[in-house]
Amino acid sequence: MSTAAGGPAGGGISATNVAILGIVGGLAGIYLSTILNGITETTYFSFFGGIGAILAGVWGADAVRRVCSYGLGTGVPSIGMVALGMGIVAAIFGLALCYVLGIPVVLGPIIAIVVAAIIGFIMGTMANKILSMNIPIMERCMVEIAVAGCLVMIALCVTISGTLVFENSILNTDITILSSVIQTGFIALIFIGGAMIILHPFNACLGPDESQDRTLYVGVEKGGIIMAITGVASLVVIDVIPAMLTIVIGLLIWIIYFKKFINLTKRDAYKVIGTGLLPTEEELQ
Amino acid sequence: MTDPIIIDMGIVALTGALATIGGAAEDLESDVGSQSNPNSQVQLAAQMDFPHRIFNKAISGEPPAYGLWCASSAVVASVMLAKGMSVLFALAVGSLVGAILLGMFAVTAHMGRTASQSRFKQPLYMDMVVGHVPAIIAHGYIAVFCIVSFSYIMNAIMGHPFPLPLLALFWGVTAGAIGSSTGDVHYGAEREFQNQPFGCGLNASYSGNIVRKGEAGLRNGMDNVWACAKFGGPVTGLALGLTVFLDNWRSTIFTGANAEWFAIIAGLIIVVILILLNRYVEVDGRNAYGPYKEEEEGGAPA
Amino acid sequence: MTDFISLFDPISIILITIGGILIGLGVHFIPVGGAPAAMAQATGVGTGTVQLAAGAGLTGLISAGFMYSMLGNDGLSNIELVQVMLSGAVGAMIMISVTMFIGQLVYVYCVGVPPVSAKVDKDPITGDIQDIYVSKGTEGHGIPTVSFVSGVIGGLLGGMGGSLIYAILMNAGSPGPIESLLVGPSPATIALAGIFSAGVFYVNAVVASYNIGGTIEGFHDPKFKRVPKAVISCLIASLLCAMIAVPIMGGL
Repeated sequence: MSTAAGGPAGGGISATNVAILGIVGGLAGIYLSTILNGITETTYFSFFGGIGAILAGVWGADAVRRVCSYGLGTGVPSIGMVALGMGIVAAIFGLALCYVLGIPVVLGPIIAIVVAAIIGFIMGTMANKILSMNIPIMERCMVEIAVAGCLVMIALCVTISGTLVFENSILNTDITILSSVIQTGFIALIFIGGAMIILHPFNACLGPDESQDRTLYVGVEKGGIIMAITGVASLVVIDVIPAMLTIVIGLLIWIIYFKKFINLTKRDAYKVIGTGLLPTEEELQ
Repeated sequence: MTDPIIIDMGIVALTGALATIGGAAEDLESDVGSQSNPNSQVQLAAQMDFPHRIFNKAISGEPPAYGLWCASSAVVASVMLAKGMSVLFALAVGSLVGAILLGMFAVTAHMGRTASQSRFKQPLYMDMVVGHVPAIIAHGYIAVFCIVSFSYIMNAIMGHPFPLPLLALFWGVTAGAIGSSTGDVHYGAEREFQNQPFGCGLNASYSGNIVRKGEAGLRNGMDNVWACAKFGGPVTGLALGLTVFLDNWRSTIFTGANAEWFAIIAGLIIVVILILLNRYVEVDGRNAYGPYKEEEEGGAPA
Repeated sequence: MTDFISLFDPISIILITIGGILIGLGVHFIPVGGAPAAMAQATGVGTGTVQLAAGAGLTGLISAGFMYSMLGNDGLSNIELVQVMLSGAVGAMIMISVTMFIGQLVYVYCVGVPPVSAKVDKDPITGDIQDIYVSKGTEGHGIPTVSFVSGVIGGLLGGMGGSLIYAILMNAGSPGPIESLLVGPSPATIALAGIFSAGVFYVNAVVASYNIGGTIEGFHDPKFKRVPKAVISCLIASLLCAMIAVPIMGGL
């Protein structure tokens, strides 16, 4: 059974607030890590990228949650994959354009999210107008999902490389995204890991009694794990201590939010028991 | 002097063998946790007033999920290889990380889905989490280790140009696609509905009425994997093994002038043989089972 | 610093768009029954459209990458481009036909149902009568010959599209013929082209699967008439992706 078709999903935090959190948090994470790294000429602040990725991923997960409560006809995973399909093309375009045109790299993420928003809007419009899916919030959610996917990609790239420089004109003197993330193949982890941060939370918590806070905690917690693994990847790129910092902070986020998720599960579940028989007939009435 | 083609064929056979084991473990892992499409019935069961003790784990579709486990294992393995550790050690530790990741996702998927069904009074049994997740990790470990290993062989020995994590991601997605298309049908159409007569598809009106009682006590994911290991798991292994072996075989066996064309033609011949084999199985099935109703009353939808 | 406008190579962009359309078309041919098929409740392979198409397409991409590395280090001639495309197509066809065949074994020898389609009265290829073999309360099960052949065609188109995109991106990113004889394409270009192709593949596969609403039996299914919509959508989507990807690959 894919998603049950239904009306708009409710929840405590409004869509706009989550979007602000995602876009501001994602960009802040990217810029904090690259600018602080640049000022101090170290890579200690790379972990901010991971935190940015988590915030952007939570936004994406919330957008998936909203659009999927309408029932898409195919499962939740496909929309997560399209998010990262659009996101990866836009993200690399934004980062690489700075190199191709020779403009400052700080503009890269902005260009990337603008491009992602355009692709997302066209895809959403197409889904409603040409493919007649007639989901009222499709355009908006596609834009949100594409931008979130794009931000997650860039933020995770920054977590590994500690820089926004896509490619250096002088041969391999410095760490660049091209040499450290793409050539090594770590982009594969970022691609699928980013997709899972966005699509897993709603797929994992799908059901009539799904609640927004529990779903989003799964997003934060899964983001923490992916952040820790990108930290492992960055071991061969940046110094050991900054990489360990990313791993430890990622695991801490995972532990904290896993506990919160367990508490919410206890709150929401019918009952949580060690073991036992099935509910009796009378109980089910 | 050994002909180099013999060594090449040995390597191709090794990738095929690894893929066969990996595919089988992949399918069995998804049966323990009831991932992928048969999960829809487990999900539906509670809604139809059939609470159950079957592990309900919908991480995502199997292909992206296996893409993630394999890609992260390959990332860890390639980091360790870059640090100069031995290949087998790196692959083993990498796969362990991938398998633990699978366990972490399995826990949230099971708890999340169960908690979202509270209005149907489906309890969350903690002993199931503790009991099933190690089995999921164990099966997942075998699958991920095999997939990452043959990706490594393709990358390092056969000289495939894609970097290891990318290759592992692609093969992981393929493994997941094959696992969810072949072996899961055994679980979904047969094992979940052993209370229905053999030899028919699931009547839509019985949806959600899955078997909930086992030989002794209540049925759980372990009982399901025990049954599916007899057919669904091995044939899934066969499917992934054949895909990897046949594709690598035809790319490797031909050398010299026009080798590319021979490789393409050999692949087309394999496809034609498979179409004919499928026709044979189709005719065999139709003859063995016969129509569900007599020909003269046919025409109306069943 | 290269002249930016000159990086928008129209031929590459058109070819990538064609690749995207081929993927979208291919998805329509692949017989998938979604979750009901996993319960032998609907004809086709028991999984999601995007998933099966992606599995086949990425296998094709792996084959195409192999073939490209054998042929194309000095850029591709036209005949070599065809070889790379066909190699990817054959890789995807092998994956999808093995998967369908093994799936068929499970349906026939494990679930015990004959392969049958409920959408047509007679199999358009073999002429077998279909409706009396449909078990009660289902919409067909297994993979009848017409769906199998349709799936093979789907693998052909999907694999061809994916490897076309990969080959064109590699060509755009390759250094000039003289340098490349010495070094070949850089590993970064290969990885970038690979992940870009996967991204474009997913976008087109998802668009096409939204068009068919998740399930289709093959080219005999009435839903197949919706193909023109998918062609338009995939054209727009891949044109967008191509206009972004080509200058980047060329600029590196």
